[in-house]
Amino acid sequence: MLEIRAARKVFYRGQPDEKIALNGLDLTLNSGEFGVVIGSNGAGKSSMLNAISGSLALDSGQILINGEDMTGLPVHKRAKRIARVFQDPMLGTAASMTVAENMLLAELRNSRRTLRHGLNAKRLTDYRERLAILGLGLEDRLNTRVDLLSGGQRQSLSLIMAVGGSPDLLLLDEHTAALDPRTADIVMEATVRAVEALKLTTLMVTHNMQHAVDFGHRVIMLNAGRVHLEIGGEEKTNVTVPDLIGHFATKTDSMLLAS
Amino acid sequence: MIDFLQTTLTSFVALIPVTLAQSLILGFVVAGIMIPFRMLSFPDLTSEGAFPLGGCVCGVALASGLGPLTAIGLALLTGFIAGCCTAFIHLRFRIHTLLAGILVMTMLYSVNLRIMGRSNLSVFGTETIFDWVPFVQPGFPLAKILAVGVITLAIFLALNFFFTTEKGTAVRAVGANPVMAEAQGINVWAATIGGIGLAGAFSAFSGALMVQSQGFADVNMGLGILINGLAALMIGEAIVGKATVWRQLLAPFAGAMVYYQLVSLCLAAGMPPPDLKLATGAFVLLMLALPTLRAARGRQAATPRESFRE
Repeated sequence: MLEIRAARKVFYRGQPDEKIALNGLDLTLNSGEFGVVIGSNGAGKSSMLNAISGSLALDSGQILINGEDMTGLPVHKRAKRIARVFQDPMLGTAASMTVAENMLLAELRNSRRTLRHGLNAKRLTDYRERLAILGLGLEDRLNTRVDLLSGGQRQSLSLIMAVGGSPDLLLLDEHTAALDPRTADIVMEATVRAVEALKLTTLMVTHNMQHAVDFGHRVIMLNAGRVHLEIGGEEKTNVTVPDLIGHFATKTDSMLLAS
Repeated sequence: MIDFLQTTLTSFVALIPVTLAQSLILGFVVAGIMIPFRMLSFPDLTSEGAFPLGGCVCGVALASGLGPLTAIGLALLTGFIAGCCTAFIHLRFRIHTLLAGILVMTMLYSVNLRIMGRSNLSVFGTETIFDWVPFVQPGFPLAKILAVGVITLAIFLALNFFFTTEKGTAVRAVGANPVMAEAQGINVWAATIGGIGLAGAFSAFSGALMVQSQGFADVNMGLGILINGLAALMIGEAIVGKATVWRQLLAPFAGAMVYYQLVSLCLAAGMPPPDLKLATGAFVLLMLALPTLRAARGRQAATPRESFRE
């Protein structure tokens, strides 16, 4: 379970270009719930995600995961509980390392790293099995450097790395935005399958209104650094793309195009 | 012409053992340059100060009657601290890695002078680790080649083991992608400080061995060591490659051995020693520029630019 309590973050405080990124944001995501976050640019989506992962320190407020206070912890300590897939496929993987080495790094996310040999036979078999689920042939390319993979393959690898070890919270930061539509569908489908199979508590940020309609248990719309609207339960199943766009403070053509 | 070739060759061959001993010792400083550069994407200049630091500490320790191993131990420790300082300055104050290295290197010059109390110190005649090599006459190149050769092999194997362990893989991830490493629960600060510290210790180790080998310490002994080390690293990577962990780790040691023989050959052929730095610099420049030049000619797709931390 994720709880954000009265999170507040101001950039450039006291300067002419002061910007309130998070303005007393409150949000609770129950265990096993899949929340989809939408909102226009500057609504605070990225700030919220960064505050949860720890790369952005809050001015005030609290972040709790399964009741445990995360607020003061650095990124690498929170990583024991949180897995994240970035928008940029380059960011989520170590390009100059092999597929297997990347899988190893992810496997060790929530355990102590020892002075034992990393890539043993047992692990390689396990990685092969887990990558085979994607059906992209990555299981036969364990020793390939990740920078030789396509964007879609890298993002799929990021996803497999993130859902492994069943994190307490999965953050998806527009993780299909940089992919072509077909690959985006493949990655999205793999995401939903993994999230449902493992019952992961998931927070997905997206600009794709169709995704917001199709996936998740609850749509959370941010505006000006706080939750503007939440649609869940029965209402969520009946919501349409035009409905969602209707709630944006400023409508833009690009949103309609994106859908 | 024949005469020239003959004299060149004779003096080169005569110098091979001495050069080999020297290049094995300097292999560690090349390793101390490679680890930040390639494993941590942290271009680091500390070695230019850590190498004489190790030499000065070792020299003073020997002169004050400490054993050669203790002297090396102290050199390792101070080198480690110097490396940690550079990494800390970069991480804490967000100062560019190169500038952090220049700051530490410059400050180390004064530190080195303070440690020795003068600009050079003779430790000729004190016991060194080379005196312990069995079956060979101490003081001859063979003793040094054997002693340093064994140490090199041991350290190479140890590094090769470490960088494939769980911890070592995490350290490499910090160099490959610090954002990703952090998100995978790796403490980027600890890995960077530890890694650059280790590199500083290697440079200092090299300096300490050099002092025991040549019998004196000098504050200026590090002058140009960085560019020589880079040239050696480039040669090593050209010969053994850098695609896998063990190749990348072998490159500095192999490169040092080949590079110093090449230098020796140039000197034997009559190249004036003052021109050496210009030639080395031009060589490093050429090696760094080669991928771009090739891409411009369209022979080969442009290789991705190396990305370093800033």
